[in-house]
Amino acid sequence: MTTTSSSASRLAPAATSPLLDRSLLFVSGKGGVGKSAVTAALSILAARRGQSVLAISMTEDLGLATHFGVDHLGYAAQEVRPGIHGLTIDRSRALDEYIRLQLHAPKIAPLGPVARGLNALADTVPGIRDIITIGKALFEGGKKSWDIVIADAPPLGQITSYLRAPMTIAGLVPVGRIREQALSYEQQLGDRANTGLVMVTTPEELPVVETNEALEEITAFVDIPAVITNRVLDPLGVSEQTLSRLEPGPHRDAGLLHRGLYADQRRWSAELPEGPNVPFHFGVHTPGEVSVLIADDLGPEL
Amino acid sequence: MTRAVLITGGGGVGKTTIAAAIGVAAAEAGHRTLVLTVDPARRLATALGLEKLGNHPEPNPRLQGLFAAMLDSAASWDSIAYRHAPPEVADRLVTNPLFEAVASRFPSGQAYAAAEEMAVHLESAEWDVVVVDTPPASGGIDFFEAPSRMRELVGGRLLRWLTGARLPGRRGLFNLAGRPALRLADALLGGPLLEQVAEFLFDLRTTYDGIAAKAGTIERHFQAAATVVVTTADPGPMREALRFHQVGIEPALVVFNRALPDEWARRAEPLVDGRSAVALNENLSRWALEVQRQEDARADFSGRVGTAMATVPWLAEAPIDLEGLHAIFAGAPALTLDRLEI
Repeated sequence: MTTTSSSASRLAPAATSPLLDRSLLFVSGKGGVGKSAVTAALSILAARRGQSVLAISMTEDLGLATHFGVDHLGYAAQEVRPGIHGLTIDRSRALDEYIRLQLHAPKIAPLGPVARGLNALADTVPGIRDIITIGKALFEGGKKSWDIVIADAPPLGQITSYLRAPMTIAGLVPVGRIREQALSYEQQLGDRANTGLVMVTTPEELPVVETNEALEEITAFVDIPAVITNRVLDPLGVSEQTLSRLEPGPHRDAGLLHRGLYADQRRWSAELPEGPNVPFHFGVHTPGEVSVLIADDLGPEL
Repeated sequence: MTRAVLITGGGGVGKTTIAAAIGVAAAEAGHRTLVLTVDPARRLATALGLEKLGNHPEPNPRLQGLFAAMLDSAASWDSIAYRHAPPEVADRLVTNPLFEAVASRFPSGQAYAAAEEMAVHLESAEWDVVVVDTPPASGGIDFFEAPSRMRELVGGRLLRWLTGARLPGRRGLFNLAGRPALRLADALLGGPLLEQVAEFLFDLRTTYDGIAAKAGTIERHFQAAATVVVTTADPGPMREALRFHQVGIEPALVVFNRALPDEWARRAEPLVDGRSAVALNENLSRWALEVQRQEDARADFSGRVGTAMATVPWLAEAPIDLEGLHAIFAGAPALTLDRLEI
């Protein structure tokens, strides 16, 4: 992909498309809300529709791997379920790949010293590490070999610096290949028909507050086609009066906890934009089971 | 000696609440206590007597001996620059566009700023107990690794790579001739950026002696502190909790937050009377499944590490006042001040 002029850095708003018809989805949310599970679930749904899927972990966390029932995802794409390949972005490998791609002539010089130096640089200069990581996801998203790429992105708090990385680089670097690359990344991120970020939250105070704070900031860079609310409880259907008349004991305590949690969830979900809900799954032991259940929940809604 | 208690763990597990509850218990026991927190929910901030972001400790209006401060990492970075660099260099540093970018996005930067702030309070001799709610990045590991990362950043290794083996004066920092590796980097990144980075790193080096010494002190504070790892019985947070053991940090206590009562899984004499009996029986049996899952998860965890564990009950509503924070501590028999050597 090439960008010839800087005027292409912002696209005019274009038509949006249904979630799984896009070629690249990022999934983010506050830590602990289940974004890896949702990433895996969306991948499973896309594969059920016959799409060829690449699921990417943008962090070294093993969450995504466990939701596919495997121990580990390497840097090379491996098949984790029928129709789904998975990989983890290892930043130094991505940097190496990036340098080779950019230089076009890998034999000019040994990569060792450059890669080592750039690695140190990437740890220091903001935006480089981030652009290498998000660049790998965008690169895979532009490939013809996948119908859809779904990336388990860094959590809120870190995600904006990744999304902003192309702009940061373009601002810091007046010339050079990485600048051109950054501008084309910026364009690909802003392509509402093909790229999107799925926000995951739970209906609790901090996740809701942080999600709402992040929505506006993030939509400056990428379209947010869906906010998915995870672990939603259904109403108990027993009044507080009835509960208070019960003998003290587990039935009463479990009823009070459920009612209380449900009331708190109602309060906070009212603050969220409309979006698909995923119910709380009681007593599900393995992450692999969780992702399949969430795929079943989301299927009819998407 | 001031007792440091570091509260750490993955995102969304209730670290801040546990930190506040420990702070309240310590103050109630008569210790002059400071809770350093990062980004509490509004109601919790109010419970702690915190109205605004600020590094200055605010006394709690209702509990004598309890103070709280909210760490402001942007302000902390400026004070790091002025603490460790000559004033004219510090002026140049804080106005460099890279400084702001590094201050807000260098992953260990915020953690380091918080750690320096912690050290200031630990060394002030004003406190019996300082409870630190660690920043959430990378499940808190960043916080422990921040001193060595900062030492590396200001140590000049990268600067030497950029400028050649010896460190030149500020002028003529840059000489591409005869350095093919650098010419490649230049083609990729553009010379002006490299030059800007080199200048920034050159100025940053003036902070090296100060930061290296401080980083060493902070590491000793970490070793002497009681570390509390907070988790829930969910796989993600538990993986984060295990990482502390993997990097050799031995917690004083692992707290399992949002725990359900064991007896819900055992005594299931069904209700027979009343319209609501069916709904309540079903409700208890689904929660019993969750109890079982939690028990299995905790058993699995304690099979891997030998650390002492405490459970804190799952509450329908987050605590909004001192009484609520007191109740959390009181409801967790294994979470004691003794265990934290307070």
